[in-house]
Amino acid sequence: MNETLAFLLEQIKSVIEFHPVILKGLGMTILVSLIGIVAGGLAGFALGIGRASSYKTLSFLIGAYTDIFRGTPVLVQLFVVFFILPQAGIELDSFSAGAIALSNITACFVSEIVASGLKAVPVGQLEAALSSGLTRLQRLRLIALPQATRLIVPSLAGQFVLLVKDSSVVSAIGLLDLTRSGWIVVQSIPNGLLVFSVVGLGYFLVCYPILNWSRALEKKH
Amino acid sequence: MIKFSGLDKWYGDHHVLRNIDLNVAKGEVVVVCGPSGSGKSTLIRCVNGLEQYQGGSLVVDGMPVDSGSPLRQLRMELGFVFQQFNLYPHKTALENVTLAPIHVRKLPRHEAIERGEALLRKVGLVDKFNAYPAQLSGGQQQRVAIARSLCMQPKIMLFDEPTSALDPEMINEVLDVMVALAKDGMTMIVVTHEMGFARKVADRVVFMDKGSIVEVSEPETFFNAPKNERTREFLSKILRH
Amino acid sequence: MNLSLNFRVIGETLPDFLTGLTATVTISLAAFVGALIVGVIACAMSLQTSRYLRAPAVAYIDVIRATPLLAQLYFLYFGLPSFGLMMPEIMVGVIALSLNSGAYVSEIVRSGILAIPRGQVEAGAASGMSYLQQMRLIILPQALRTMVSPLIGQAIVLVKDSSLLSLISVLELTRAGQTLAINRFMPVEGLVTTAVCYLIIYYGLKLMAHAWGRFDQVGAKR
Repeated sequence: MNETLAFLLEQIKSVIEFHPVILKGLGMTILVSLIGIVAGGLAGFALGIGRASSYKTLSFLIGAYTDIFRGTPVLVQLFVVFFILPQAGIELDSFSAGAIALSNITACFVSEIVASGLKAVPVGQLEAALSSGLTRLQRLRLIALPQATRLIVPSLAGQFVLLVKDSSVVSAIGLLDLTRSGWIVVQSIPNGLLVFSVVGLGYFLVCYPILNWSRALEKKH
Repeated sequence: MIKFSGLDKWYGDHHVLRNIDLNVAKGEVVVVCGPSGSGKSTLIRCVNGLEQYQGGSLVVDGMPVDSGSPLRQLRMELGFVFQQFNLYPHKTALENVTLAPIHVRKLPRHEAIERGEALLRKVGLVDKFNAYPAQLSGGQQQRVAIARSLCMQPKIMLFDEPTSALDPEMINEVLDVMVALAKDGMTMIVVTHEMGFARKVADRVVFMDKGSIVEVSEPETFFNAPKNERTREFLSKILRH
Repeated sequence: MNLSLNFRVIGETLPDFLTGLTATVTISLAAFVGALIVGVIACAMSLQTSRYLRAPAVAYIDVIRATPLLAQLYFLYFGLPSFGLMMPEIMVGVIALSLNSGAYVSEIVRSGILAIPRGQVEAGAASGMSYLQQMRLIILPQALRTMVSPLIGQAIVLVKDSSLLSLISVLELTRAGQTLAINRFMPVEGLVTTAVCYLIIYYGLKLMAHAWGRFDQVGAKR
């Protein structure tokens, strides 16, 4: 018993020695997630407005596009960006590929969130706005968006957590994120439970507070 | 001011409006009544383009109303009051009233506020400028809705069953505002079941059934000596109370 | 960019894709059943008054929800051998998927149960029903109806999640696509076929959700 405990302590010390790699990985995870939520959030916002608009063709096209990405695994999408875009002449390193793929899928999910929020605004108010001569843009800006925002914001927080978790797939194309750092460490310290508990802890520290905040926001409504 | 000529409208196979001929002159108050499904709401919603029609023609204030016309211009001159009030819940009463004048008529803020406050006072809501719709009763909300439409200084006011969603004790406060408006000479089309209102201020009463105009008469004739059997039937049903 | 697909190659490798597709479906089904079992148990525990039953369940759910599936998968893949538990990768994968989805199933079940108005439970108790009878006769029949839609949603997530098993050498759909992409230098054909297969499953599940939605409406009108 003492031997296993001593061995475990040795392993823990080794893991701690790997902290630069692990912290680098954590930093990369946070960075790529932030890029994803900002780029994806903005793009998704625009797409969502188009999706909720009364231009049927536009709405349909956006819906079809986002559906494809919501119906296929992130891993496959990542491979598509990383392996197929070079064929079109766009050479990408794993960071760019990861950022693009994550931003894209975030945009697709955010667009549905935004569209639902906008569609939830009662039709009567839009008719009242229409009847007093407000333009489409004014109806969106002054009436629909302020109310839709209340519904959209809690979902966005949840979406960020999903993004942080999905970002782990970039480890599959060699990008040094938190998951990959764990993978690297476990090659040297073959204690999977220990190493990936540390990895899990890293993700937990980022995601758990945001999850709670999102739950609190949802309760307010 | 408003001229329906042979207007026809279908919802799919359902013929909602049949060959409607109706003229409303400036300053006239026309009440439209009829059973559910008679097309009366659809009729009034055609006036400001909330509904489109397929046959015939509609001219409002000299401008033809069809899919090609610049409806925004027209809507600035038409006030529309909804059965469900449709106030903007995230804006105060005063903000609701001044929103369109500021953004559509491009009125300077302070002018809009002045006008808005005066109107809210006129409809009896002097201490509710900064209240949100959720803090107001149904009758108060509808009065704000009326003030909101009036703030655009429209030439014609359209009312789509303005009191049907109100508790009985609040109906009169809204009708009083509408009566005052009528007496001030506003051109009004009012879809309603409130026959007391019709008797008081209507110049003409229109009875619709199954999409057609069945009878148009002055209130006295309409209520005391209706010409059409269906009109008589309808009146007997609703005047019992 | 050469956008035309080499259908001949796709045709040749179709058997591999079908094997992969079957594997994905089997894995997803097995994991879904596993998730239902785990989820119901976890939910039942989380609803107990006793802290000793509730706390582990809540902790489990929170940890799963705040960490990525891939990290959980690697945790088991690299960690289970230390317990002397050697098992085929596919089993590790199914266990990881079951544990992961189980947490979300637990939340779905929980929402379904808590959505039943308290008054009905009180009516049942007032007529002398035991807790189990209340569950069986009043709460569950209604809760189950509301759970179907979100559970289908979780099934969709599960199918997509199963793609991660390709990273621990499990021969499923994504791996089949990767083989074509890497071994035969045809990433477009490989990945497009993979994507199409996933979309077939996706739209299939969506159709199920629609069909249930309409069925449910009919019931409500009665």
